[in-house]
Amino acid sequence: MDFKLGEKEGVLRRAIREFAQKEIPSEHFCLLLEEESRDEDWELAMSTSKKLAQKGWLVMAWPKEYGGRAASYWEQMVYGEECGYWGIPGISMGISGVAWVGPSLMQFGNEEQRKKYLPVIASGEPDGVWCTGYSEPNAGSDFANIQTRAIRDGDEYVINGQKVWTSCAHRARWCWLAVKTDPNAPKKHHGISIFIVDMKSPGITVNPLLNYYGVHIFNEVFFDNVRVSASNLVGEENKGWYHLMQSLASERHSIGPALYGSVRRLLEELVDYAKETQHDGKPLCQNPVVRHMLADAAAEAEMLKLFNYQTTWELTQGIIPIYGSSRNKAFGDQLLERISIIGMKLMGAYSQVDPYSKWTKLHGIIQRLYLLFPGISIAAGTDEIEKNVIGQFKLGLPKSY
Amino acid sequence: MDFKLSEDQEMLRSLARDFLTKECPKAKVRELEADEKGYDPQMWERMAGLGWLGLVFPENYGGTGATFLDLVLLMEEIGRNILPGPFFSTATCALPILEYGDEELKAKFLPQIAKGAAIWTLALIETLGGYEASEIRTSARIGDGQYVIEGTKLFVPNANIASHLLIAAQTGEGDKGITMFIVDAHSLGVEVEVIPTIAEDKQCQVTFTKVKVPEGNVLGNVGGGWDIVEFILDRAAILKCAEVCGGCQAVVEMTNAYAKDRVQFDKPIGSFQAIQHRLVDMFVNVEGLQYLVYQAAWEISVGSPSKLHISLVKAKASEVYQQACLDAIRIHGATGFTKEHDVGLYFRRVKASEFAMGDTDLWRERVAVELGL
Repeated sequence: MDFKLGEKEGVLRRAIREFAQKEIPSEHFCLLLEEESRDEDWELAMSTSKKLAQKGWLVMAWPKEYGGRAASYWEQMVYGEECGYWGIPGISMGISGVAWVGPSLMQFGNEEQRKKYLPVIASGEPDGVWCTGYSEPNAGSDFANIQTRAIRDGDEYVINGQKVWTSCAHRARWCWLAVKTDPNAPKKHHGISIFIVDMKSPGITVNPLLNYYGVHIFNEVFFDNVRVSASNLVGEENKGWYHLMQSLASERHSIGPALYGSVRRLLEELVDYAKETQHDGKPLCQNPVVRHMLADAAAEAEMLKLFNYQTTWELTQGIIPIYGSSRNKAFGDQLLERISIIGMKLMGAYSQVDPYSKWTKLHGIIQRLYLLFPGISIAAGTDEIEKNVIGQFKLGLPKSY
Repeated sequence: MDFKLSEDQEMLRSLARDFLTKECPKAKVRELEADEKGYDPQMWERMAGLGWLGLVFPENYGGTGATFLDLVLLMEEIGRNILPGPFFSTATCALPILEYGDEELKAKFLPQIAKGAAIWTLALIETLGGYEASEIRTSARIGDGQYVIEGTKLFVPNANIASHLLIAAQTGEGDKGITMFIVDAHSLGVEVEVIPTIAEDKQCQVTFTKVKVPEGNVLGNVGGGWDIVEFILDRAAILKCAEVCGGCQAVVEMTNAYAKDRVQFDKPIGSFQAIQHRLVDMFVNVEGLQYLVYQAAWEISVGSPSKLHISLVKAKASEVYQQACLDAIRIHGATGFTKEHDVGLYFRRVKASEFAMGDTDLWRERVAVELGL
């Protein structure tokens, strides 16, 4: 057993720190996964992603031939932590391409697809931005229930249907799309396939869905006789479900380290805020309730850190962390929720102020997080679904539904 | 970074698990709860034979030179099985002797401990029940080359069977006024009374009436006692958390097994999300606690203890243990509420483990200080 990271990771951490201090505006100190909403945020994200690509960090885990630098799992973890800590935007370009389309193409795409799509993602250019078409009006947690159809027609497939809650569809050049190719399969998850779809294709309509605070993260996407080349099928036809389960594990794993980085920074900021802020005639930090809340959150943050370490270690041992990824995501979500609520408590009356107004504290990060976390804990699988995964695959309990 | 135990550690763990399962089944635990001594001298001898009592001592003191992390792994198994007796109390005294004792003290006391011939306990807290230097009122006055100790200590584990006491007494004012003494438990003027506790774990009140202690029995420096207390608290807190963590694991495992086995509405109750998600939360928190314990223990083992990491664990452990036990009882239904069921044995130990070496609030406050608050 050993709880120390290596020298290589230390060097990378320092390099990212240096980069962040130079390139990232000081009001960014937490990774808010809403950069696709406001134009100015998106612009900063895209200009940063290009710089990250030039540094060789954007897709550091990928092999050199596809634009990566074959970084170790530990380096990836440190990168995630630091990006979360500094709030470096653009690290995921709307998340899909960098976090799971690329890794999935490497796992079960063909060589032609890899050559065509991976270097574009790796470049950090707008043409490397992806969205993911999974959820539908009748297929949320019950994802295998999707009804969007792809029907073979010569060398092409014709796609019809509707996706919903599609994050970043309004910024994306490509869609990583799950469809039904065999509606008559004996089990509903046996008839699913994955396609790469050009978002500029005729027949695609993207309608914004604003969240309760007017933030534009997700969309509904309609497919009306959209024709895609048969060469855009990824992996085997009707095997999409199995591909996606692996893909989702990558997705969930990628979130943990960045979440931890954000949480650690938030705690530091809240500690400083509590020291600098007077309440009832004395510094907020002298209030035992405040001290205890922050101490408890720090204990959970440390647990999240170690969960990430453990999952990363499993990856180095050749284990796919199906359980660990779900654990880290569900645990991280709960922690983010807790910290947002603590942060809002510490802000007192200022917690109700619009995050972009001149009255806001800590650059509005706390309010934005508070408004965002309910969405984060739903995206990529609700906490309840994650707990089902853990119950079944780790505790060996019978399926609950 | 490596989450794997060494082969030796795996072996220690599996030997410990086998030994405890065989030698200390729950019937034995119940028997020892009712027993006046609260431990089994024969088992204690066999534990000495296995090298457990001197695990971290160098070989020249009769030990096996294992690391603190190894000791933590052993405590985890002890917690998992429940082992009534003075293992923890003896370890909490042996560690400071090893660190602060001069050659003479070490040669005198450590080999005795290793071979099972001495039982030690730490007499620290008093009627206020807290872990602050200011709460130590027991006094030690010097005269004629010896100290005379007066005062009362509370919640001293296993003092009823101890051969030696390590006690914190006032020799001056403030933090620098505390000195640690080694006291023969059979000295004239030492009186021990077992406090009935819900864990039936033989914590005692120890009264010192004009107890004479030779000058040579000072551990460390006169006035330097509180540093030793801090040294003990950090390490003993982690040992206690390891014990808690083992207990948590046992509770989660028995509950998971029950949830698969127990059928209601024609299905195992573990298939219901209300049960399943509760179990998942228990499991994840316990796993997180385990990593917190290992990290802090590893840092101590390699000589770079982290105040923050130690404090986090002790602030968290009892909360996790309490919740795990409550959830376990809930999932077991009325069965979990009975004297016959094992889960109650664990639940009755939650508070004892919280108050050993400082409660949740004390360690939370230490976390807050480490965070810069």
